[in-house]
Amino acid sequence: MKIIVPIKQVPETSQVKINEETGTVIREGVENIINPLDLYAIELAIELREEQGGTITVISMGPPKAEIALREAIAMGADEAILLSGKEFAGSDTWATAYALATLIKKIQPFDLIVSGERATDGDTGQVGPGIASFLNLPLSTYTRKIESIDNQHIVVQRLIEEGSETLKMPLPALLTVVKEISYPRLPTLRGKQKARTIDIPVYSGEDIGIPEGEIGLKGSPTKVVKIYRPQITRKGTLLVVKDEKTLSESIDRLISFLEEKKIISF
Amino acid sequence: MKYNPVSHSIVEKLIEICGEHYVFVDKEKLEPYTHDETPTEQFSHFPEVVVMPRDTGQVAQIMRLAYENGIPVTPRGAGSGLSGGAIPAYGGIVVSLDKMNKILEIDTQNMMVTVEPGVITNEVNEKVKELGLFFAGYPMSVETCFIGGNVAENAGGGRAVKYGVTDRYIMGLEVVLPDGEIISLGGKRVKDVTGYNLKQLFIGSEGTLGIVTKIIVKLLPLPSVIIDLLILFKNIKQAIQIVPKIMLETRIIPTSLEFMDQLSVQTSCQYLNEHLPYQEAGAMLLVEVDGNNQEVVEAEAETIGELCLEQGALEVYVADNYTTQERVWAVRRNIPEAFKVVSPQQSVEDIVVPISVIAVVVEEIQEIAQKYDILIPCYGHAGDGNLHATLVKNPRHSYKKWLEIEHQILLELYHLIKEKGGTISGEHGIGLKRKDYLSIVCSEEEINLMRKIKKTIDPKNIMNPGKIFEE
Repeated sequence: MKIIVPIKQVPETSQVKINEETGTVIREGVENIINPLDLYAIELAIELREEQGGTITVISMGPPKAEIALREAIAMGADEAILLSGKEFAGSDTWATAYALATLIKKIQPFDLIVSGERATDGDTGQVGPGIASFLNLPLSTYTRKIESIDNQHIVVQRLIEEGSETLKMPLPALLTVVKEISYPRLPTLRGKQKARTIDIPVYSGEDIGIPEGEIGLKGSPTKVVKIYRPQITRKGTLLVVKDEKTLSESIDRLISFLEEKKIISF
Repeated sequence: MKYNPVSHSIVEKLIEICGEHYVFVDKEKLEPYTHDETPTEQFSHFPEVVVMPRDTGQVAQIMRLAYENGIPVTPRGAGSGLSGGAIPAYGGIVVSLDKMNKILEIDTQNMMVTVEPGVITNEVNEKVKELGLFFAGYPMSVETCFIGGNVAENAGGGRAVKYGVTDRYIMGLEVVLPDGEIISLGGKRVKDVTGYNLKQLFIGSEGTLGIVTKIIVKLLPLPSVIIDLLILFKNIKQAIQIVPKIMLETRIIPTSLEFMDQLSVQTSCQYLNEHLPYQEAGAMLLVEVDGNNQEVVEAEAETIGELCLEQGALEVYVADNYTTQERVWAVRRNIPEAFKVVSPQQSVEDIVVPISVIAVVVEEIQEIAQKYDILIPCYGHAGDGNLHATLVKNPRHSYKKWLEIEHQILLELYHLIKEKGGTISGEHGIGLKRKDYLSIVCSEEEINLMRKIKKTIDPKNIMNPGKIFEE
């Protein structure tokens, strides 16, 4: 079984600060890590390989530094990694990113399964996984929480939906985006780290995978960011100050009539 | 010891000194000041009044008032102590240093900060991180404890193998003495042999000699590369035996060298919903190395990892980024909380022995546990020989039985530790919890000398009385 895991390198969110003027994330000095939700996809891929045999290829599109995330995935147990990197990719939105990754996947096919995290913790769109499935015309299960069975031809999965869960039987190859319930990511081992340090990770440009200029990057992205701002959260509170018996009973009366007005309580 | 009660007029005077918002006498408001992290049923005691001074002058006035009226005073930091040090054993006044929480100066030229005692230890590090500096003291409660408490207890923690404990970084202190006098000890001097080292006397004095109101802390350059190894061993013996070897054979001094037995890891993992393969591992070590050169630190981590594999370790996990490091340290840090869920009745011990005998000691502790039919998980700072063997009440035992056997076990444990060249507390202090056992490890002459020192500085015995030893 050949499994492909697209991953993203994201800033470690507990250390992130926001530039108040531009509304964008200050990336300088912030550690980059594998998108935490992608760890579950990597773990699932490793578990499937342990059960079924095969290989796991992790892929990513990002700056040269994204190699660190790919090496971490190798240290956890992935077999090989490929990085898409170059100026031409800069500014890609989810459409262009999905397109670029799908093009790479076409180049390295055949494969049986693509697994990714439900969404990235920085962009938070959850669109790239389904985007890849769409470009490759693959059956898709988002929010996958359990693999019920898998053989050479089919996979049966449970996915979370608002009312509970649904079970899908899909032909392979297919794409799954997974939620945390699916697995529990293992830690990288010393042996894995040693392998990860020396393994050769090919870096492909847009040209290498045959994407014409203008179809990716800022130019190839239909999403235009007009303005980024922080929504103002405003709460108007009324403070009832209790000083003595008299103000206490007054405050209680005012609170009761307020709750009645808002139809929260009624007598 | 007879003390005077806190009368209405004393409360009035305290309000005059600190203002009415900073003095409480209501029972509900006093309750949080009755205990620290030791079991409440065993050690708690109500103060008569809590005051929150905002500067040294107010602390001095409070002490003078207490001194003139013979009222006991207990200073209090964050209340995260583990020996009952902040509990007002004789009632009286609790002086909470909560409002004295300012970082007064960051002196980059000398790499020192001057802080008030109520600053949260972690805040110092947050503040100086941008300057590429850090305070190397690292109590495990770093996110809650106050630096004043660290000084009072001479706190140790997870980085002591390489960086030592709190006192190494305390350059100067301002202290209010029991009679209200204010003295200044030490200063921004790396070397200082001017007379007796009184500053050192106050560090670790558990609030029994005075109230620290200002602290000069030495900082170090912040290492930019940190790698943690979580190493799984088949059994405790294998894990512990490797501890001295790590330093001797690799010639690397790790930042941390923590030990956790299976029960500790399992309980913490279940508490955190963490899925480490603890079923197979009888014990784990958590080893941290740090430095500024990526390749050097990686090589050091690898050398230690290889040594452990060579000696039969089952697996070596590597955590070199925030996500994985948080995961492995969370397991270690949450052990005490996790055991509170198992049983709130427990005794967190803080024994320290020469590292060469840890393996034997851990084995003998397990024999004691079996003999009394309770659990004694062991975890802690193996690189310092400092283990938090924790007596956890067997849920089938009655509370009365627990109290009986707890005392028996402590006696047995402490005698064992003494015999092995160790002592009963490495970093938590004696406080209320261990004072009845002090004579096991300290001679009568030594305790008498301590009493004389105490009497000289605090002739009326009003400063945190009832701690360390009876008067």
